[in-house]
Amino acid sequence: MSDQPPHVLVGKDGAPAPDRPWIFRTYAGHSSPRASNQLYRANLEQGQTGLSIAFDLPTQCGYSSDDPVARPEVGKVGVPINSLDDFHVLFEGIPLDRMNTSMTINGTAMWLLALYVALARERGVPETALKGTTQNDIVKEYLARGTYIFPPEHSLRLVAETYEYCVDHVPEWNPSNICSYHLQEAGATPLQEVAFALANAIGILDLLRERGRIDDERFARCVGRISFFVNAGIRFVEEMCKMRAFGALWDDICRDRYGITNPKYRLFRYGVQVNSLGLTESQPENNAWRILLEALGVTLSRNARCRALQLPTWNEAMSLPRPWDQQWSLRLQQILAFETDLLEYPDLFDGSPVVASKVAAICDGARGEIDRILAMGGVRGAIDAGYMKSQLVRSMADRMASINRGDQVVVGVNRWTDGLPSPLVGGDDGGVFRVDPAAVEEAMTALAATRARRDAGRVRDALARLEAAARSGDNLMEPSIECALARVTTGEWANALRGVFGEYRALTGIDGQTLDLAPDRLATLRARIDGFAAAHGHRPRLVVGKPGLDGHSNGAEVIAVAARHAGFDVVYSGIRLTPDEIVASAVEEDADLIGVSILSGSHLELTDQLMATLRRHGAEIPVVLGGIVPRDDVAELQARGVAQVFTPADYQLIDVVDRMMDVIEARR
Amino acid sequence: MLARLDAAGARRGRVVGVTGAPGAGKSTLVGELAVRLVAAAPGRAVAVLAVDPSSPVSGGALLGDRTRVRFPAGEPRLYFRSQAAAGELGGVARTTFQVCRLLTRLFDVVFVETVGVGQSEIEIVRVADRTYLIVPPLAGDHVQFMKAGIMELPDAFVVSKADVGEPASATFHALRASLRLARPGAEVPLHRVSARTGAGVDTLCAEILTGPAGAGVEARAAHFFERWVAAEHGRRGVARLTAAGGAAAYVAAHGGFEAAQAAFDGEVGA
Repeated sequence: MSDQPPHVLVGKDGAPAPDRPWIFRTYAGHSSPRASNQLYRANLEQGQTGLSIAFDLPTQCGYSSDDPVARPEVGKVGVPINSLDDFHVLFEGIPLDRMNTSMTINGTAMWLLALYVALARERGVPETALKGTTQNDIVKEYLARGTYIFPPEHSLRLVAETYEYCVDHVPEWNPSNICSYHLQEAGATPLQEVAFALANAIGILDLLRERGRIDDERFARCVGRISFFVNAGIRFVEEMCKMRAFGALWDDICRDRYGITNPKYRLFRYGVQVNSLGLTESQPENNAWRILLEALGVTLSRNARCRALQLPTWNEAMSLPRPWDQQWSLRLQQILAFETDLLEYPDLFDGSPVVASKVAAICDGARGEIDRILAMGGVRGAIDAGYMKSQLVRSMADRMASINRGDQVVVGVNRWTDGLPSPLVGGDDGGVFRVDPAAVEEAMTALAATRARRDAGRVRDALARLEAAARSGDNLMEPSIECALARVTTGEWANALRGVFGEYRALTGIDGQTLDLAPDRLATLRARIDGFAAAHGHRPRLVVGKPGLDGHSNGAEVIAVAARHAGFDVVYSGIRLTPDEIVASAVEEDADLIGVSILSGSHLELTDQLMATLRRHGAEIPVVLGGIVPRDDVAELQARGVAQVFTPADYQLIDVVDRMMDVIEARR
Repeated sequence: MLARLDAAGARRGRVVGVTGAPGAGKSTLVGELAVRLVAAAPGRAVAVLAVDPSSPVSGGALLGDRTRVRFPAGEPRLYFRSQAAAGELGGVARTTFQVCRLLTRLFDVVFVETVGVGQSEIEIVRVADRTYLIVPPLAGDHVQFMKAGIMELPDAFVVSKADVGEPASATFHALRASLRLARPGAEVPLHRVSARTGAGVDTLCAEILTGPAGAGVEARAAHFFERWVAAEHGRRGVARLTAAGGAAAYVAAHGGFEAAQAAFDGEVGA
C-alpha cells in the first residue's frame, strides 16, 4: 500500500509515477505502397507511436487494382495492396517486431493478416512478436459501412478462424476490433452504440464457443484479445460516461456469461477515432475545437481511458487530409499527453454521484437493448430481421430532424453562420488533398510485375488448397498465408472464396422511416409535387443508387426517405453498383431523375462513366450527385453534366428535395 | 399499340401474382424464379412488376425491391419495373391492369408482386392468371391462418426460407392442415422453397409455367372496366353502367377495354 495522498498516481513500487500515454496513431494511406510508406515513416519521425493503415476500397472489397470495377477507386481512400510484394514496400524500414500496426480491414481481414504474417516469415521475424489489430468486424459492415463480400455465416467463419489461428500463433494480435465507431457515424445514440457493440462481441465469443475448436484456456485468452474501436462525439461528458459504462458492462459479461476469472482478460480495451459525423464543411476551422473536446471524452477518465487514439483532421468534411493536417492533429495528442498534467492523476471521476448515476442509466438502457437483440437470436438474427439497421436509420433521421429544427445547435451551420472567410482554406491547394495519378499508375505497374514474375504453378496449387479448405471447413489462415507467399493477388484470393461462399446483398433498412421537415415548407413542396403529378400523370420518379465500391449508404438512404416524405416515388437501387446498373434501372423505371451518392473521392471518374453510359442508352435523364466533394470540384462536376451537386453543407433536406424538383421541372 | 402488337403476333404471357406479408421473402424469390426461368429456355422473356404501397400522408413511395433482385447485367430478356400503389386498396395500382396488358404481349411470364393480403387486399387475384401466397416460417399457427381469411383465394401456397429447417416445416404442416379444413377436397399445391439454397425452386418454376391458369388478361377487362368507371365517374357512373347491363356486356358490346372507355366518357359527356 502506498502512503501517498489520493490525488497522487503511484506505480507498482508505491512511488509517484505518471501513466504512459496511449498509442498515438494517424489513420493514413493513399495512392501507392511507396507513397504511403514515406508518409508512415515521416509520421513516426514526428512522434507517432503506432501505425493505422487505411486501405483503398478495392483492397477492402476484394478486388485487384486492375479489375474494371476497381479502377476509379484505386488509391483513393487508402493504399492499394495487391500482393505480398506491395507489403514489402509498404513496411520498408519499419521494424515489425517493434511496431503496433492497426489495419482498418474487414471483408478481406483474413487476407491482410495472412499477408502480414507472410511478410514476417520472409523477413525472419517470429510470428509471436507481431502486435496489432485487424478491424475484422463484419457485423458493422452489414449495418453501417458496407465493405462486406460474403454472406454473414461465411464472413463470421473467417472472423472465428482468425481468432483460432492467432491464439496459438500470434498471441499478441487483436484478431478483431469490435466497432461502435461506425454505429455512431450511422446515427446511433450512446445507448445503442454500447448495446450493439457488446451484442456484437457476444456474437463472436458465442460463435467461438459453439465451434468448439479451442479449449477453455485458449477461449479465455480469446476473450482477453477482444478489443473495441469506439467513437467519441461532441457531448464529451456523456461520452466519458459511455466509456465507463462500456467497461462495467463488459466486465459483467465476461464474468457472468463466459466465466472468465482472470480480471486481466475482462478489461475493456479500446482504441478511438473521434467523431467525423459532427465535423462541418462550413467554418471548417471550428472542427479543430470539436476534435479537442472529443479527445477529452476518451482520455479524462483514467479508468476508462483509450489504449490508442487517432484524431481526424479539421478539413475531413471537405477532403482527405494533407500531411500537414495530420501533423496538426498529432500535435494535439502530444500536447494533451506531455504538456498537461492529465497523466499524473488517478481517476478523476470515481466517487462522483453525477457520473455514477449517468453511467448507471446508460448501463440499464444498454442491458435492455442487449437482451432484446439476444432474444432475436443475437446479432445474426437481428441483422436478418433488419432490426439494428432500421433502428440506426431511425436515430439518424431523428438527428437530422433535430438539426433541421435547430434544437441541436451546430455552430457555423444552424447558428452563427456568418463568419469571416477562413485563411486556412486560402492556400494554393484550397486546403484539399489530391491523389497523384502517377502514384496510382505505379501501383498498377507493380501488380503487372508481380504477375509476370511469380511461379504460376505455385499460385494454382495455393488457390486450389484455399478452395478445398473453404469447402471442407478447415481453417483458412494457413492456406491464405501460402497464397500470400505464392504472390496470389487480392482479387484472386477473394474470387476463390466468392466461388465457394457466394456474395451478399444487404437489406436497406429504409422502409417506414419519416423525417421531421419544417411543416410550412413541406406543405409548399408537397403542393408543388402534387401539381407535377397532376400535370404529368405520375409522381416524380427518382432512382437513388451508389456507384463504385464505397459502402457508406447513410446519405443515400436519408435522401431517399426525404424525397418519399415530400411525395416522390423513389426507387432505391442499393450500393456497390456499376454505372451501367444504375442507368439500366433508371431507363427501366422511366425515371425523371437519377440521384447518386459518392463518398470515396471518385466522383469525377464515376460521373464520366455515368454520363457515357447515359449517352450510350440514349437516355436524357438528369443526374444529381451528393457526397464529400471539394468546392473546386463542384463546378467541374457541373461542367461534366451533373445538374446539381450536394455536399455536407447542404444539410437542409427540404432544400435538397426542392432543388431536385427544380432540376426535374427545368427538363420538362 | 396493343392492337398493333397483336397483329404482329405478340406473345400471350401469363400473369403470375405473388403476394404475402412484408418480409415474407417475395422479392428474393421472384428474382430467383425470373433468373431461372430465363436461363432454362433461350427464347423466354420474363418481366417483374413490383407494386409497393404509397405513403397515405405524402403520396410518395419508397420502392426498394430492386435491391433484392440482381439480374445478370445487360440481359434483355429480363425486365424489372417498380410501381407505387398510389393509395389504392387491394395492393394493386390503378394502372396495373393496363401495364399487364402490355407486358403480357412482350413477355412470357409477368410476375406481379404485391405487399400484404387480407380481405381487402386480394385484388391481385383479379389481375393475375395464377396467384401464389408466400408464407414465411413462423407466420402463425393454423387458427391464425383460418382467421386471416386468406386461405380461399390463392391458387397455390409457398413456404419460403425453407433453409431455416424446423420452423419452416412447422409452418408447412400447419398450412397443410388449415388448407384441408378451408378447402376440403381441393388439391391446392403447397411448396416449400429456399431462394438461398435453391431447394424446391425448379419444381415451383415448372408449376408456374404449367399450372391451371385463368383465361388470360383480356378476360378480366370487365372487372377493371368497372373499377375504372367507379374511379372516373363515381357512384353515378357505376349505376349507369349497371343500368346499361353491366361491365361485361358493355365491354363486349363496344369491342374491348379502350373502346368501352371512350364510349362511356362520351355518354356521360366527360
